[in-house]
Amino acid sequence: MTINTFVAGKGLLYRFDPRAKLLTVMLLCIWFFLPVSLVGLYTVVGLLVLVGAINTGFSHIAKTFLSILPMLLFMVLFMPFNVRDGESLITIGSFTLITAEGLEQAVRLAGRFIGITYACTLLFATTVMQEVMLALRAFHLPYKAGLVVTLAFTYIPFIAESFSQIAESHSLREAESDQGKRIIQRLKDLVPTLTSALVFALRSIPNLAMSLELRGFGSEQKRSSFKDLSSYRHPYTHTLLSCIMLVVFWVLFRVQ
Amino acid sequence: MGPSQSDSTSSLAKSRVPMPNAFCIEHLSFTYHSYVQKQCESLFENLSLQIEEGSKTLLLAPFDKGKTTMAKIMCGVCPKYFPGTLEGTIRVFGTDLATLEPWQLLSICSYVSQNPQEQFIANSVEEELAFPLESLGLGREEMRSRIDRALQHWGLDRLRTSSEQELSGGERKRVLLAVTEAIDARFWILDEAFDDLDQRWRDQLKEMIDKGNKTVLVLASRYLAEFDGLFDQVLLLDDKKVVSLPQQQLLSRFSQLCQDDLANPLASQVCTPPEVRQLVCTDLVAERRRMSTLEEASFKVQVPHFTLQSGELVTLVGPNGSGKSSFSRILCGLDGYLSGSIKFDGTSLSGKELSKKVGYLFQNPDLQIFLPTVNDELSWSLRRRRDLKQEEIRRRVAACADLFGLSLSDTPATMSYPLRKALQAAVYYLLDRPFYILDELDSALTYHTALSIIRDLRQNGAGILLITHDRQFAKRVQQRTYSIEKGRLCEL
Amino acid sequence: MQQNKNALKVAMVAVLTAVVVVFTLVVRIPTAKGYLNLCDVAICFIAFTFGPWSAFIAAGLGTALADLISGYAQWAPISFVVHGVEGLLIALIVKQKGNEAVSLARKLLAGLVCIATVSLGYFALSALFISTVSVAAAEIPGNIAQSGVGFVLGLGVSTAVKKAYPPVRSLSW
Repeated sequence: MTINTFVAGKGLLYRFDPRAKLLTVMLLCIWFFLPVSLVGLYTVVGLLVLVGAINTGFSHIAKTFLSILPMLLFMVLFMPFNVRDGESLITIGSFTLITAEGLEQAVRLAGRFIGITYACTLLFATTVMQEVMLALRAFHLPYKAGLVVTLAFTYIPFIAESFSQIAESHSLREAESDQGKRIIQRLKDLVPTLTSALVFALRSIPNLAMSLELRGFGSEQKRSSFKDLSSYRHPYTHTLLSCIMLVVFWVLFRVQ
Repeated sequence: MGPSQSDSTSSLAKSRVPMPNAFCIEHLSFTYHSYVQKQCESLFENLSLQIEEGSKTLLLAPFDKGKTTMAKIMCGVCPKYFPGTLEGTIRVFGTDLATLEPWQLLSICSYVSQNPQEQFIANSVEEELAFPLESLGLGREEMRSRIDRALQHWGLDRLRTSSEQELSGGERKRVLLAVTEAIDARFWILDEAFDDLDQRWRDQLKEMIDKGNKTVLVLASRYLAEFDGLFDQVLLLDDKKVVSLPQQQLLSRFSQLCQDDLANPLASQVCTPPEVRQLVCTDLVAERRRMSTLEEASFKVQVPHFTLQSGELVTLVGPNGSGKSSFSRILCGLDGYLSGSIKFDGTSLSGKELSKKVGYLFQNPDLQIFLPTVNDELSWSLRRRRDLKQEEIRRRVAACADLFGLSLSDTPATMSYPLRKALQAAVYYLLDRPFYILDELDSALTYHTALSIIRDLRQNGAGILLITHDRQFAKRVQQRTYSIEKGRLCEL
Repeated sequence: MQQNKNALKVAMVAVLTAVVVVFTLVVRIPTAKGYLNLCDVAICFIAFTFGPWSAFIAAGLGTALADLISGYAQWAPISFVVHGVEGLLIALIVKQKGNEAVSLARKLLAGLVCIATVSLGYFALSALFISTVSVAAAEIPGNIAQSGVGFVLGLGVSTAVKKAYPPVRSLSW
């Protein structure tokens, strides 16, 4: 099982400071909800996709697009129907829904969805997980929270592997083949497998706790850090740059 | 009682000047907490052990007799994370262990576990080494130089960024040894540290123990040739206590504890299958993709000719990573193959059909045990057969439990390892497959226990393929042997 | 002596998070309409067996990481909130005092809360932030089915685990 979201590359986005990148993605996600013109929205989305294509390659961009395509189609096709008789639902509270109508709404929502998708995807495709964690730490994510995520990533392949072995061994023990079984029976058969996988995972908890403490976790002493983000030399410039860019886009494209 | 008293009589011991104690254990008793009705048996009673600073100690103990528990107690994590009742005093370099937290032992005492997987906490080899150094609060330059040195020393430089999943068993051991070297603690506890290592690294570890200025305690369940002349004292965990004896006596007592002196359980067995079945592989070629990013080339398993008959006991020997498991997975129908054939009594079978003929017992029994009690476990697959009556199921399960020495009401998760292994075999015995593959049965079992399990499993005349990397063990089974190297299988 | 068990909490939450990720990504049961994933089984199990805090963090973080790994990073924050709250609420409802068994009524309530949180949570949040009301509404039946099945299986699995691995009782936070 692959748990890697990183796409190797050397482009500008890879050299962009992770702290600034993280902040930019968050601001960008907010920006997409601002009242901007449709043209403006799509210009920004277009730029984002273009920057992405330059950095991570066309195939990655296409793959991402394919993964959201069903959802997009659904949105665009059902939107007009929704707007005609869905007045009462609209009051749930999204401000864009109040002013927009029919097709325009669908297109706007689709654009926003594409934009958010690419912003998030590009962040994790151009930054290794370790640096995302370091960036989050720079924004005062507690050490323990970061450690939990790192440890979870270490244990995902281990648990996935044991899980597939347990499922295999369970199938080897079957007295009859499971062809043509009803879904209920199949779900019932799943209980022993799941139980066994969970017991296997739970047994590793005390061992992990032991190993953490034997490696010095829990000590009052301040930890030093082997890796940091000092190889990125311009965190402030980069942050400032992306903020300016977003403000400029806002001024250019806002609805008067 | 100090085992060190009789050192002068031990021919394994080298002469040395007395030094203060690194570890001083007195009147230690320990019993694991029991979560079920039945009380656990105590592991240690009134045990005492002194380890002098700078000395090298070997503690031999049969499997499942508390060797690893001892290491965990000495590191201060047991009973903290492995609940139980502990009595007695332990002093580490003069300080009472009870007043210390495990992390305070970081620069004092390092532990290399026999199961490397459980000690991995980081996403890459490099970070694995960095983690404890960060805890020590070292500066970046110091960390870098220690990490580089340790990685180089254990030949791990090119694996820097690999994750634990991509490493082989031997590489994992080396990473843990490199971590230990980087921490540079005064006292090392090495639990079965020579296992899984190739000769080159065994020699290196041996030299480190011999030449280094560390106090070292090696725990082992099998006496290896490498151990000769390496230690200042050789001790034995016997009847819940640590004893010291002259070498010859100690080793013979040890093999007695491992039941090596008992008659081979297979010797007296006459195996007469009711009907003779045959499994034949010809010109089998299969490809396996390596998960590791390091070896891009796919790995080929080639089997020109292989046969297995009812009642036969065939061994397959080969080093780690030679394709033993890949071949087993094909033989029991879990994986497919590119060309060639596998025939059962002359007919080719699909993967699904094959897995009803060939039972595969994984090395790790916990992956094949599912249910809360032994009784549930044994009757599970029988209940799913529509042709059996309740009475019949009960009779078969009881007879099977009797044969493998199991108690029906026990909870598998809290049973000892040999019993879990026996339960795994019992489950397959009831499935009554014509053939069984036993993967590394002898790991963490005494030869005698392993051979007894084989005897019971082939009671009904099943043909057995025994996979092992231990040629000593293979020798005890006097029948045909196949060997596999770099994916190619041939008969010896 | 040795009262500080922070490492155990960290280890527990980390392993449980990994379990949620694996149940979400690896175990997929093919149904008539696409796949059913088992994240709710893992979440219910954790909520029933461990405390509200581990359930909240493991459920939220686990599903968010699963989204991230499978390339749907935009859903991660929503999953975090919805499943985190799901785990927290179930755990609070079935929290035991002493050794008494959880009553049927409380189990039923927990089940309803589980289904309601997942279906309505996803509906509201995705209608607000990501997609549209109609798209979000169309997903309600699927979410109800998945969380319902997940809850029932999770109940079965947690009883089985407590029987199969008694030491689990000593772990809870």
